[in-house]
Amino acid sequence: MTINDSAEPAAIEVENLTVSYGPKPALLDVSLTIEKGLLVGVIGPNGAGKSTLIKAILGFVKRDVGVVRIQGIPAEKAKGLVAYVPQRGTVDWDFPVCVKEVAMMGRYGHIPWYRNPGKKDWEMVNEALEMVRMTEFSNRQIGQLSGGQQQRVFMARALAQSSEILLLDEPFAGVDAATERAILDVLDRARSSGRTLVVVHHDLTTAAEYFDRLILIKQRLFAYGKPEAVLDENLLSEVYEGRLRVFSNINKTQLYR
Amino acid sequence: MISLFEPIITPLREPFFIKALIGGSMVAVVCGVVGCLVILRRMAFLGDALSHAMIAGVVGGYLFMKLLFGIEAYAPAMLVGSLIAAVLTVFLIGFVSRLSRIKEDTSIGIMYTGVFAAGVVMVSIFRNYVHIDLMHFIMGDVLGMADVDLWASAFIAALVLSVILLFFRYFQLASFDPIMAASIGMPIVMIDYVLTTCVSLVVVSAVSMVGVILVVGLLITPAATAYLLSDRLDHMMILSSFFGVTSIIGGLYLCFHLDSSGGGAIMLFCTFQFLLVLFVAPRYGLLVRWIKLRRIIPQQLAEDIIGTVARYSPISQAKIRKLLPEHVKIQRGIKALIFEGYLCMSDSGLTLTPEGQKEAQRIIRSHRLWEAYLQHVGTPSEEIHPKAHSLEHMHDPSAVEYIDDILGHPVQDPHGQEIPEDPSCREPGAIVLLSQLRSGRKVKIVKAPKSGKGSELQPGEIILTGNRQNGGKIWVVEKHSGQLIKLDHHAADAVIVECI
Repeated sequence: MTINDSAEPAAIEVENLTVSYGPKPALLDVSLTIEKGLLVGVIGPNGAGKSTLIKAILGFVKRDVGVVRIQGIPAEKAKGLVAYVPQRGTVDWDFPVCVKEVAMMGRYGHIPWYRNPGKKDWEMVNEALEMVRMTEFSNRQIGQLSGGQQQRVFMARALAQSSEILLLDEPFAGVDAATERAILDVLDRARSSGRTLVVVHHDLTTAAEYFDRLILIKQRLFAYGKPEAVLDENLLSEVYEGRLRVFSNINKTQLYR
Repeated sequence: MISLFEPIITPLREPFFIKALIGGSMVAVVCGVVGCLVILRRMAFLGDALSHAMIAGVVGGYLFMKLLFGIEAYAPAMLVGSLIAAVLTVFLIGFVSRLSRIKEDTSIGIMYTGVFAAGVVMVSIFRNYVHIDLMHFIMGDVLGMADVDLWASAFIAALVLSVILLFFRYFQLASFDPIMAASIGMPIVMIDYVLTTCVSLVVVSAVSMVGVILVVGLLITPAATAYLLSDRLDHMMILSSFFGVTSIIGGLYLCFHLDSSGGGAIMLFCTFQFLLVLFVAPRYGLLVRWIKLRRIIPQQLAEDIIGTVARYSPISQAKIRKLLPEHVKIQRGIKALIFEGYLCMSDSGLTLTPEGQKEAQRIIRSHRLWEAYLQHVGTPSEEIHPKAHSLEHMHDPSAVEYIDDILGHPVQDPHGQEIPEDPSCREPGAIVLLSQLRSGRKVKIVKAPKSGKGSELQPGEIILTGNRQNGGKIWVVEKHSGQLIKLDHHAADAVIVECI
């Protein structure tokens, strides 16, 4: 693969990526290039390797084969260029930490160990909290927030990190419809400020509406492209193995919302 | 007055007491700080394991100096030995749990008892060379602290506190979200090792005071006490140190006046302190939780009251009580509902507010739909009402919608009573299915089938819904031109309209 040096490098490039836990590959020979400024959804059945793909882009899992480049830089050297919003279930919500401290964690990568957070860091934290409309909760312990608010705190952390690329693992899981709208609104605003977002998503009925591009994955990359092209009935039935009855209702459900 | 303060002052005249107080407080402060990280990372069992394993190291260090250099009870060697034993144990635990199907907690249990046993066996074999009182290590001896112990504790406390304070952010983030920590380039494996080493050091310095068995308590109990009172890690560490020091002070006085074991008295005081906080903590305490639970009005009670008021409004409190004999907290429930704006009290009795009416409609709709459903699945008629009465509280919108759909959006329940429309179908601008509407509604078509039934309807067109025919199975709509169009359930589901 040749890269045109004069052009701006793509936000994320994945080449022939294979990741395995034991004998079964979690990801097999995945190659894709995500351009800057897109809101990209990652879809696929449970255990398809969606979270693994996110972690591979973060440089958190060991790659068996392949290269991941972030803005042209190999992932292992690109620490801090990518911000990460974890799945809600993986966070210890009883941890003694308040909203603004979580947002400040986004700045940790920029503060040397011998210094305390400075004025500029606090400004960026407040700005990020403002953007997700969580300013009034900044002194709340994170366990005392609703599901959607918790999600937004972690988005503020990702924004405060001032990374160009945001990875979100199932931000819409277990939140009500109004919260889903609010989160989508923040994603939209992050995209319009030029950021690239990759979002693991489980709800096919909303996938077309929310995202510019979709990644359909089950170990292998089945499709990457515009939602109309990826949400092809034959392709989906191949990936989801006949659990397709749901999808014939997609249009109806979507409009009814 | 003097006699009042006498019990406090007398012990302070004893040098051994002062020494214990100073040494104990140093250890307690650092235990408190490290303990916070230990409990947040669920390493409590590991702390216990390390304290036991270090016995082998103490014996090893003792023997090493004695056999090679002939030096008796050389403290630095015993200290280094116990650290080596601790690190070795951590390594063995990781080795077993990573390479076999044995889980980590089991692996900890196996390895520390093994290393501990090795220490015990060594002491008994070399009992002629090693003059170690095992009981001293197992029970600790806070009042008999040697100067060297005091210096070692001071050194360890200073070292560990500096590391934790300097790298506070690293420990905080690596404990809270290791993936994020790794993604910004924090060396999380290194941080783990540093923390484990800190725990080992702290345990080593605390064992001579409270003993192997109680040391884990000094590590985690003050931290757990602070955890119940704080919402930030730095506050928790400060409070935890404070509770550690109060345990030492309280425990030492207890031990002095009762002439009991020092370590035991300290941990007993520490535990009582924890239990007290557990009950009275303002946010996470049991007392507060109990009060809150008592205050909550069960959803079922609230809904039953609203349903009753809807049927018999205006109604007196006494009548509600008579109609709902199965509930106990009715008066409190009514008060809460008035406070939340669902009910209002007038001279003639209780009535529903507009908000309450909406809620009542939702409950009645849910109840009658469940009744229709129960009849549909062949429930004996005498069971329908009581069953629906409990099922109506399951009003998750998508569940109710589903039942409405499979029953063909019925307009009447089995007793011939009207099933109210879904309140959300009344809001202007709501996009709904034609099949969900009742008669007499003016709506705008958003989408209609391209062919077959319903294709006469054009998007953008305004229509009027009429009465259903054929037992509710046929939907009738009137076009602006006056033309009547009949649709079955399937076709009515395919027509999407906007409420105006």
